Amino acid sequence: MNKPSRLSQGTLCDPVSLEIIRGAIAAAQSEMEALIERTAISAFIREKKDFYTALFDGNGTMAVGSMVPIFGDMTRPVLEKFPIETMQDGDVYWYNDCYGSYGAISHSNDQVLLAPVFREGRVCAFVMSWAHFADIGGLRPGSISPDATDIFQEGVMIPVTKMIEAGCVNQAVLDIFHRNSRYPEQSEGDMRALMASVELGVRRVGEILDRFGPDVTEDALAQLLTRTRDLVREKMAETFDYGTYSFTDAIDTDGHGNGPFHMRFSLTREKGSDGNDRFTFDARDSDDQAPGPINYLMNKGVPGMALGLFYLGGDPSQVCNAGGPNALDEVLFRNGSFLQPEYPAPLGLRGLTAMRMISAMCGLLNTGGGEAPAANSAYVVNIMRGKYRTKDGALAPYLLADGIGVGYGARSTADGIDAVYFVAQENYPVEFLEAGYPVTMRCYGIVADSGGAGRHRGGCGIVREYEILAEETMVAMRIDSVKNPPWGIHGGKSGRHGVAIVNPGTPEELRLDPLSDGNMLKRGDVLRIETGGGGGYGHPFDRPAETVLQDVLGGFVTVDAARREYGVAINDESIDAETTSALRAARPETSRFYRQEYVDALV
Amino acid sequence: MPSSDMSFDPSFAVAVDIGGTFTDISLLDRTSGTVWRAKTASVPSDPSQAFMAGVNMVLEDAGIHASDVSRVLHGTTVATNMILEGKGARTALVTTRGFRHVLEIGRQDIPRHANLFTWVKPARPVPADRIHEVDERIGTGGHVLDSLDEDSVAAVAGRLDAQDVEAVAICLLHAYANPSHEKRVAQLLRAALPDIAITCSTDVLPVVREFERSLATVLNANVMPGVSTYISRLENRLTDAKASSPLLLMQSNGGVAGTEAIRTAPALTALSGPAAGVVGAVDAAAACGITDIITVDIGGTSADICLIREGEIHLTQQGKVGEWPLSLPMVDMVTIGAGGGSIAAVTNNTLSVGPKSAGARPGPAAYGHGGTEATVTDAHVTLGTLPQSLLGGAMTLDVEAARAAVTGKVARPLGLTPQDAAQGILAIMNNNMVGAVRTVSVERGHDPRDFTLVPFGGAGPLHGCALAELLGIRQVMIPAAPGLLCAAGLLAADMRAEFTRALPSPGAINQAQGDSIVADLTKDATAWMDHEGIAHDHRVLRARAMLRFNGQGGEIAVDWADTPEETEARFHEAHTSLYGFVLDAPIELVTLRIEATGKTEPVDSPALAKVELPDALQTQKVRWPGGIAETPVYDRAALGADTKINGPAILTQLDTTALIAPGWIATVHPSGALLLTKEST
Repeated sequence: MNKPSRLSQGTLCDPVSLEIIRGAIAAAQSEMEALIERTAISAFIREKKDFYTALFDGNGTMAVGSMVPIFGDMTRPVLEKFPIETMQDGDVYWYNDCYGSYGAISHSNDQVLLAPVFREGRVCAFVMSWAHFADIGGLRPGSISPDATDIFQEGVMIPVTKMIEAGCVNQAVLDIFHRNSRYPEQSEGDMRALMASVELGVRRVGEILDRFGPDVTEDALAQLLTRTRDLVREKMAETFDYGTYSFTDAIDTDGHGNGPFHMRFSLTREKGSDGNDRFTFDARDSDDQAPGPINYLMNKGVPGMALGLFYLGGDPSQVCNAGGPNALDEVLFRNGSFLQPEYPAPLGLRGLTAMRMISAMCGLLNTGGGEAPAANSAYVVNIMRGKYRTKDGALAPYLLADGIGVGYGARSTADGIDAVYFVAQENYPVEFLEAGYPVTMRCYGIVADSGGAGRHRGGCGIVREYEILAEETMVAMRIDSVKNPPWGIHGGKSGRHGVAIVNPGTPEELRLDPLSDGNMLKRGDVLRIETGGGGGYGHPFDRPAETVLQDVLGGFVTVDAARREYGVAINDESIDAETTSALRAARPETSRFYRQEYVDALV
Repeated sequence: MPSSDMSFDPSFAVAVDIGGTFTDISLLDRTSGTVWRAKTASVPSDPSQAFMAGVNMVLEDAGIHASDVSRVLHGTTVATNMILEGKGARTALVTTRGFRHVLEIGRQDIPRHANLFTWVKPARPVPADRIHEVDERIGTGGHVLDSLDEDSVAAVAGRLDAQDVEAVAICLLHAYANPSHEKRVAQLLRAALPDIAITCSTDVLPVVREFERSLATVLNANVMPGVSTYISRLENRLTDAKASSPLLLMQSNGGVAGTEAIRTAPALTALSGPAAGVVGAVDAAAACGITDIITVDIGGTSADICLIREGEIHLTQQGKVGEWPLSLPMVDMVTIGAGGGSIAAVTNNTLSVGPKSAGARPGPAAYGHGGTEATVTDAHVTLGTLPQSLLGGAMTLDVEAARAAVTGKVARPLGLTPQDAAQGILAIMNNNMVGAVRTVSVERGHDPRDFTLVPFGGAGPLHGCALAELLGIRQVMIPAAPGLLCAAGLLAADMRAEFTRALPSPGAINQAQGDSIVADLTKDATAWMDHEGIAHDHRVLRARAMLRFNGQGGEIAVDWADTPEETEARFHEAHTSLYGFVLDAPIELVTLRIEATGKTEPVDSPALAKVELPDALQTQKVRWPGGIAETPVYDRAALGADTKINGPAILTQLDTTALIAPGWIATVHPSGALLLTKEST
C-alpha cells in the first residue's frame, strides 16, 4: 500500500533535511535508550545495559539500527501474523519466540516490543525496543543453563502477540508472563520501561513525520538504506575478487560432551545474468546441531549486518541498517546445522557462538584480502544462584549473572581492545555488586600475557575473583575458545584461553569445566575466573621494544613473555638493548594465521 | 577573609577571563550600569601577569583604585587545557590491593554508538605503571574488612618518590561510605611527600561506582598543583595591588565560587571559561528579547558550541572533558579544536586545519612574534578580512608574514594561489564548526534554522555569516563586546555551590534521618555563604532529594518536603512527566543535596543613543568567496542605535572584528548588539 517509489528516491528529501532526519532519529534513539537505562529495574538492563533500539520504515525495513551485528529481520514475524492493514494507532506488538521469528531474536530472554507510527491514516514507520530479561522461568534461575536440552527449559515463549491494541493493554498476557518469572517485580518493572520507551519513540518519530511530512521522511529512510547498501557492496567488491572464499572457525563444546562444532563460511562473488555482481554467503557446510544450548538460530540478516558494520567502520556519517543484509544477494543455511537448528533445540548460550561468528566473518574477510581484525575471545558469563542469609537470619534467594569482558583481536592499525564485553554492555561495578549480592570481590584486573603476541597485541582478558558469602551457590560457567583459541594473523599469535578455578592455591583447588552448570559452592569458597585474550596482528618481533616495556610495566605482559614472545629482554624495569637485538636476530618464520601453530589457512 | 556582613552588591566588580590568546577584562559600576572594557595578550607562562595588567588598565580608565573594587571574578581555562593537552601534573593513583586495573578496564564496554571493529580504547590519564596498591579493604556500607596496613602505604610512598610524581589521587573501594582509610593514606603520604598535591576521591565525587570516581579523582589531582599555584599567584598580585576583595572563580555549572572551594576540587572549573561565555551570551540575547540561540565561542585554540532553548542553560551530570566522563555538574556543550590560532597543514596532499594551535606564543605569523605556521588568522589577513591593526591600534598585523606563511605552508604544496589557499583554510575551519553545531542541534532533534546564531570570542564574529549560510540560519546576533563576553558572563553570574551526601544505604524515606542530613548540609551551605560574604537577602537554599523506584539505575531530583508522602508525591509526579508511568514499587531515597545560590541582581545597561551612520574609517580590497570587493571598515564604537549597514562591511572594535558578508544587513540594537539578517533574494 505504501511501497516507496524507487523511481522518485532522492527527489523528495534534500541532503540537508536528510542529515537532520538522520540526526533526529539518532536523538530519538538516544532518548529511548536513556529512558530504559534510567527506569528499568533489573541490574541486567540498567547496569549491564543489555538493550537496544531501532527504527524501521513503513514496510518494516530497518532504517536505523544499533551498532551490533546480531539483529535479524525484526518486523517480518509481526507483519506475517498481523498484516499492516489490520494495525491501528496505539498498537504495540511483543514476542520472544526464537523459532517463530526465524531467529530475529535468538534466545528467549530477549523481549522485543514493536510499535507502528501512524500519520495520514497509514503506517509510516515502526519503532523497536529490545531488552534481555533476567529471568523468564525455565530450568534454572536466569533461564539460561548449559544443562538445557530443549528450548522449553529456557523459559516461557511468547509468540507474536498484540500486547496493546489501540492503546488498550492486554493485562492478562502480561500477568501470565510475569507469573512465570522467579523475579516478577523485575519483570514487571523492566516491561514498563520497555513499554514507555516504545511510546516515547512513537511520539518522537511522529514529530519527525509532522515536521517533514511522511513522503519526505519515507524518502529519507530509503536513501539511508540505499546509501549503506551501495557502500557495503562497493567495499565488498574491493575485498573479494571474483571467486569463492572460505573460512572455518569452531567452538569447543556444547557442554554435553559433544564438539567441536565447526562453522564453515564461504562467500562467492560472480557476475549475474543481469551483468551486476552477485554476492552469495553460504554456511551450509557447518556442523550439525548440538544437543546442548550453543545452537545459534541465525537470522538471514545477520551475515550482512556483520559485513555492513565492518565496512561502515567508524564513519559517523554512515548508518548501520538493513542496507547491510540487502547487500548480499543470497544467504544459505542448512536446516539441522547448529546455525539453523530444528525446533525445539536449546539456544540459551548462543552468545558464545555469535561471538565466534564475528571472528569467522573477520577470517572470511582476511581470506579474501581484506584488513579485518584477528579473532576475539568469546565474552564470559558466570551465573551464580543460591541462597544467602539475610540480617534477620532468613534464607533468601539470589541470582547474579555476571558478564565478564575479554580481549578482542588486534587490527592492522591498533592493538586489540583490552578487557571489553561487547558494544554497549557494561560491567557490574565492584561497589555496586557487593552492595546487592552476597559476594566480596577479591580482585578485578587484567590477565597478563592473555593477549596474543604481535606487532599489534591482542587485547587482554580480565581476572575476577569472588569470595562467596551465600550459604549455597550453584554456578553456571560459560567459557569458550579453550581448545580453539582466538587465532592471530600475519604473524600475530593466538590469544590465551580463559579458566575458572575454585579455591586456587589451596589443597581443594578445583578447575571447573569451562562450559558447565551445577557447580556447587559454599560460603567462604573463592571462585577465580580469568578470561581469554584476542589474537595478535603482525610479527611480534616488529613490536617496538619500548611498547613491550610499557606493557610489562603496566601488567599486560610478563618479563618472561616479553623475552619469549617478543624477543625483548627487560632487566630492572628497563630494556637490555644488547640482549634484545641478539634475541630479535633469531626471527621465527610465520604464516598467515596462527592457532596453536602457524598455518596458511583455516579451513 | 571577608566577613559575612560585607555588602553583597558592590558598586564596582571586575571580571577577568583568560583565554589561550587574549585576556579580557570588564569593570562594572553596578550603580550606573557603566562598563569599562580592556583586552590584552595572554602570557601563558604566567597568566597572572596579564590578569593584573588588564585589571590595572580598566581601573585607570574608570579612575578608581583597586581598593574600590569589592568583587573580582575570574574564568580560567587552566584546568581545561591541562586535561585536554595532557599537560597536567605527573599523576599517580593509589588504590585498594587487587584493583590496580579498574581505570584501565573502565566499564568494560565498547561505547553504544562506536564500531566494534575500529574502536580504540583511549589511553588513561594515568598509565598503569603509576597505579599503586595498598593493603586495606572496606566493604559495602563502610564496614572495615581489612584494616589499613601502613607499611604498604610507606612502600607506595617510596615508589611515588622514585617515579617523580607531582600529584597523587587516592581512590579506595567503598570510600564514599567510609572515607577513613583514604584520609589516613592521604595523611601518611603528605607526611612522607610534603611537596606533592594529594586528593581523595571523597573530596571530589563521593558517590558509588569505582571507575567514575577514580577518573574524577585522577583528573582532579592532575590539575590540582597547576590550579593551586595559579590561584596563589593571582591572590598575591591582588594583595600587592591592595585589593581586599574576594576572588571568585567560574565553575563548569555556570556559577561562581570562592578560591577555597576551588583549591579542594579544581576539577569543578573544567569548563570555567566556556560556561562564563554561555552565561554572557544568554544575558546579551535576553537584552534583545531572543531566547533560542546557538552559541559559537571561537577563541585562539578551540571553539565551544552550545544550544539554548527558551533561555535555559541546560546542565549535564554526564558531561565529558575531552574523552573522559566527568560526573560533575556542567553546562551541556561541545568543544572542538578549531580557533583563530589553529594551524593549517598539508600532509599527503590533504589540507587539514587544527587541532594543533599556534597559541598565544608564537601565535599566528601575522602577530609578528616569530610564528611561521599558517593559521586561520593568517588566512583572514591574507584575504583582507582582518584590518591591519587590532586591539584599537595597540597591535599591528604583519600582512607580509601572514601571506608568506599561507604561501609557504599551504599554497605552494597544493599548487594554489595564496588567496585560494586562504579561502580553503577558512572553508575547512567552517565545515569543522558546522559539524559541531549539528551535534548540539540536529543530532538532538533541533533544526538550527529555528535558532539565532550568536558568534563570540575573539574570532567568532569573523565566521558568523559564513556559518549561518552553511547552516541555513537566517539571523545572527553579535553581542556588544563579543570578545569580552566571558567577562560579561562573570559579571552576570550567580554564586553557586552544591552540598551532597549519599545516604549510608539507599532505602525508604526516613524523615528524621533525612531532615538531620539536610540540617547538616544546610549548616555547610550556610558556612560557605558566610565565608563568601553573601548578603542574607540574596541567599537561596534549595533542599533536593534524589529518589528512584527500588532497583532503578537513575534517580530523579525533587524538592525535599516535610513529610515522606509529599516528597514521594513529587517523585511520582516527576516520574510520570518524564517517563509517562509510575510503578507500584517502593521508593528509595539515595542522595540529599543542598543547592546554594547567591543571587546577583541584574544591572540595566544604558541604551545606545541614535546617531547617523558615520563615515567609513577606510575601505580595503577583500577577497570574499564570491569575488573581490572594495569593502568599507567602520568603527563599531561610533555606531548608534537602529543604524543599518549593508554588507559587505568590516566592523572593528577593541575586542574583535566582525564581518558583514555580502548579502547581509546589520542593524544596531539599542542594547549595543548587532542583529544580522540575510537579504531576501
